[in-house]
This record gives sequence, structure tokens and C-alpha cells, in this order.
Amino acid sequence: MEYFLHILVLIGIYTVLAVSLDLLVGQTGLLSIAHAGFYGLGAYTSALLAVRLGASFLISLVAGMAVAALVSLVVSFPSLRLHDDYFVIATFGCQMILFGIFNNWVSFTRGPLGIPAIPQPTIFGWNVRSRISFVLLTALLAVCSYLVVTLLARSPFGRVLRAIREDEVFAQSLGKNTLRFKVTAFAVSAALAASAGVVYAHYTTFIDPSSFTVTESILVISMVIIGGPDSTWGPLIGAAVLVTLPEALRLLGLPGSVAANLRQVFYGVSLVVIMMVRPRGLVGRYGFGR
Amino acid sequence: MGTQWGGEIRGHMLSQLIANGLIAGGTYALIALGFSLIYGVCRFFHFAHAAVIVCAGYLVFALSSRLGVPLSLAVVLSIVLSSAMGALLERAIYRPLRAKHASSLMLLVASLGIYVVVQNVISVVFGDDPHALLSGLPTQGISMFGARITFIQVIILIVTLLLYSATGFFIAHTSAGRTIRAVASDSELARIVGIDANRVMLLVFALGSGLAAAAGILISFNVELTPTMGFDALLMGVVAAIVGGIASVPGALLGGFLVGLSQHLGVWKLPSQWQDAIVFVILVLFLVLRPQGILGTPVRSAAV
Repeated sequence: MEYFLHILVLIGIYTVLAVSLDLLVGQTGLLSIAHAGFYGLGAYTSALLAVRLGASFLISLVAGMAVAALVSLVVSFPSLRLHDDYFVIATFGCQMILFGIFNNWVSFTRGPLGIPAIPQPTIFGWNVRSRISFVLLTALLAVCSYLVVTLLARSPFGRVLRAIREDEVFAQSLGKNTLRFKVTAFAVSAALAASAGVVYAHYTTFIDPSSFTVTESILVISMVIIGGPDSTWGPLIGAAVLVTLPEALRLLGLPGSVAANLRQVFYGVSLVVIMMVRPRGLVGRYGFGR
Repeated sequence: MGTQWGGEIRGHMLSQLIANGLIAGGTYALIALGFSLIYGVCRFFHFAHAAVIVCAGYLVFALSSRLGVPLSLAVVLSIVLSSAMGALLERAIYRPLRAKHASSLMLLVASLGIYVVVQNVISVVFGDDPHALLSGLPTQGISMFGARITFIQVIILIVTLLLYSATGFFIAHTSAGRTIRAVASDSELARIVGIDANRVMLLVFALGSGLAAAAGILISFNVELTPTMGFDALLMGVVAAIVGGIASVPGALLGGFLVGLSQHLGVWKLPSQWQDAIVFVILVLFLVLRPQGILGTPVRSAAV
């Protein structure tokens, strides 16, 4: 039962990551490989605040999201002037730099040793300790991110994002300052990813850089693409499928390390097959330009 | 990715760092050249280039250490097979995608998928532990300007320059090279004058993958063989290609040496674990200030 609840918490966290990335990939048509970097930025900011300064969970959460949003501005103003492939490469560079900070700034982040003993959250007197309360917390966070992304997508703001996705020059010709819209979407997406990182850090009570690698970014991208970009349930479906898959393989008796590799083989194959057969993913509305 | 140095004196250390930088830079230049050629003709970022790099290294390992094939034959076989693998990827995956008018982002996502599959299959078959390709070959070095360079590193530099010049000659002076340049500069016009773009793409994939394979083998001779080494090397190659100017042949060489040198010279002033971060800072600076690279032509500002 505990194990099952653990899977639900992971699905919740990855749903937040996938929903927030879908705001970029699905709504705006921007493929970012820096998502794990912002996820890690949230986790590290809140972990360091909680461990070094004893900050409360809510303060850590707000701080983690704010730091990620600020860093995203530094990243996005220059890189969002670039198009398609070049933007992907720029986010790649940012991911590598963020990972480098987590891994190499040993005096601040303790590098590969990671940060242990992160306190479990207390929210307005609610002590989140048991697995079931973490399921509630992540579910709450997932619902909130869904609301944020869905409301944004349905608002005039979201319509401009989709206009940018379909034809940026056209959106500009209507007088829209497309850079401002893209920068805002990027900041919201980064802040939501950071919130997932905050909850992750306070759930596992230990973080190290290996949770925030490029591979993790590609995993979240796969969730969005398998579920389907620009869709309501796509991110949830994608997160659920890719989180449960290695667990299912493990139940079949495969050793953990092989199961991890097989999961990656599965999502690699899915990416190729989906691009060839159904670029809109399982339930998506956007197929990367065609 | 770094090699060790032996000199204690500062001046010696500097020349050692320059030597290490040039050797690493040479392999990056080969990767950048292959990547650039493919990008120039096909106009998308072929991340599965990393899969070719790592496969080439493991093919040599499997053939020579496991099956007892002589090393030189194993190297040749590996380059041929890897080149065929690149061509097969183009034929079996990218061409059908292109036939469906896939955008460059879709091709990029598919290539990420291919890479993930290959890397994990290698992990399952050979394990995640590093393997050494060179156990029997002599590793004693020669000294130049206070830097200690091993025999294999001299070979790396020579092979790099030879392959680079041969490729440059092929592109500039043969008729096949001319068709590559034609499709790269204007694929529509090339089609009108009767050039079969699909055949040219197959050709650049075979050629580019061969270069990547050579680089992968040289790197695994110099450092070691791990399932993720292809990706690390590819990222350096991509940065080299962008810094030098993508789709530019001299740009690939210039970018490769620039990336290799800044990676290794950075160690002079900064702790060595930052050497990769230095490269990505350079990448971001170039993307922001001069996205076309040093020798490239300006990028189109609007997607048409």
C-alpha cells in the first residue's frame, strides 16, 4: 500500500512537470530541454532555505518558484529571440549550466553528496508526514497547476500563445509583442516546475544532482509528447504511463537497473513512433507544426 | 573527458593544457564537421549523431576485445558499419518523416528518441562501467615544449587533420561534393536542376556518420568508453559547430579547436569540474550575440 501511494506521489509530481512543460511545448510551440534545471532550481532553493535557515515550507515554496521565474527571465530574454532548433540548443546550454551549478558548486550545494535531512512540510498547522498526506499535497499541487495552465490557455493570453505557435510573424503583424508573451509563458512554466521540485525535495528529504539531469528533461518531454501536446489530460496520461512502466517491469521480475534502461528504451521508441505515426500524441491537439 | 598532465612547472602546465585542448578540439572538430554537413543539407539537429559516436567505440571494443578481430581491422569495420548505421537512420526514419512534411522539431524529437534507445541498449549489453579500448598498445609519450603527449594523441591529431582535409577536398572539388553544396544552399533550386535530394541526404548521413565514428573511436582510445560518452562528445561538437558557424567547413575546425582549448585552458584558472560549464557559457554567449557563429552566414530571423 505504501508503495502504491509512493507511485501516486511520483505521478503527481511528474504531472506538475508535464503540465508546466506543456504550456511551452503544446501551447507556445517551444521545445525546452531546461525543464529539469528549473525543477532542480526549485528543489535546491527550498532545500537550502529549509536546511540552512530553517525557513517554513510555504516560504520555501514561494522562494523556489520566484528564483526559478527570475532565472528563467535571464535565460529567456536572450534565447527566445532564437527560433525552433536554436532555441532548443540554447535551453540545452542552460540545462547544462544549471546542472553544473548543482553538481560543481560544492561549497554551496554540496555537489554530488546532495543535501540530506530536508524537513517534511508543515502547512498552516497541517503536518505532512504520512504517504497519504503527501498524495493529497501533490494532488493539490497538480490541480493548481492544471488550473493555472488551463485558465491561461483559455484566456486571450493563451490565444496569443497559440497564434505564436502557428505563425509567429503573423502574430507580430497583429501588433502583438510576441517576445513578451513567450517570456511570460516561460517564467510561469519555470515557476510551476520549481514548485514540483520543492515538493519533491520535502517529500524525499534528500536531493542530489542526479535527479535533475538532461535525461530527466527528456523524460518530461516524452511525457508531454506521448500524452499529446496541447491537451487537457495528455500530461497526466503521459506522466502516469512513464512513471508506472518501470515499476511494472520490476514487478515482472527484471532487475531495477535493467528496468530503468528498458523504460528509457520504451520512451525513446515511443518518441520515434509517435513522430512517425501520430505527432499529436495520444490525445493532443498540436503536432509540431504539421 | 580531460587527460592528466604531468608537468609541475606553470609554463609546462600551460603547454600541456594547450596540447590537451588541441587533441580534444580535433575530435570535436570531426564531430562538428559531420553534424554541420548533415545540418547544412537536412536542416535539423541530428542528436542521434551521438548514438553513432558511441556505437563506433563499442563496435571496436566488441570486435577486438570480445571477438578477437585485429584492432586495425576492427577500426575499419566499425567506421564502415557506423557510417551504414547513419545512412540507415536517414533511410528508415528521417526520410519517411520528411515525406510526411515533418517539421525540423519533429525530426529533432525523433532523433532524441533514437539516441535514448541506442544508449540504453548499449547500457544493457555492455553495462555502465567504463571500458578501456587500449590495453595492448604502447602508451609512452613524447615531450614537446614541456608537454607530454602520448603516441595515440599524436595519431589523433594527425588523423583529425587528414580526415578534415579529405572531407574539405571532397566537398569543394568533387561532383558529389558539388551536389551537397547545391542542396545545402538551395534545395528547391537543386531539385529543379535535377539533383536527387534524397540521394544527397543519404550521402551526407553516410559521410557525416563516418566522421563521427572516427571521432568516437579516437575519443575512446584517448579516454575511455562509457554509454554516455557519445552525448558528452556530441554536445561539445554541437557547440563547436555553432561557435564556428554551422554548415561551414572551416568553421567546424575553428570551433572545434576553440571549444577544446577553452575547455582545457579554463582549468588553468578554475577548478577542473567547471570545464564543461565554461563551454556552455560560451555557447549561450554565442547564441545571444552571434547565433550564426564566427564564419557562418546570418540565420533567417523569421520562420517561413
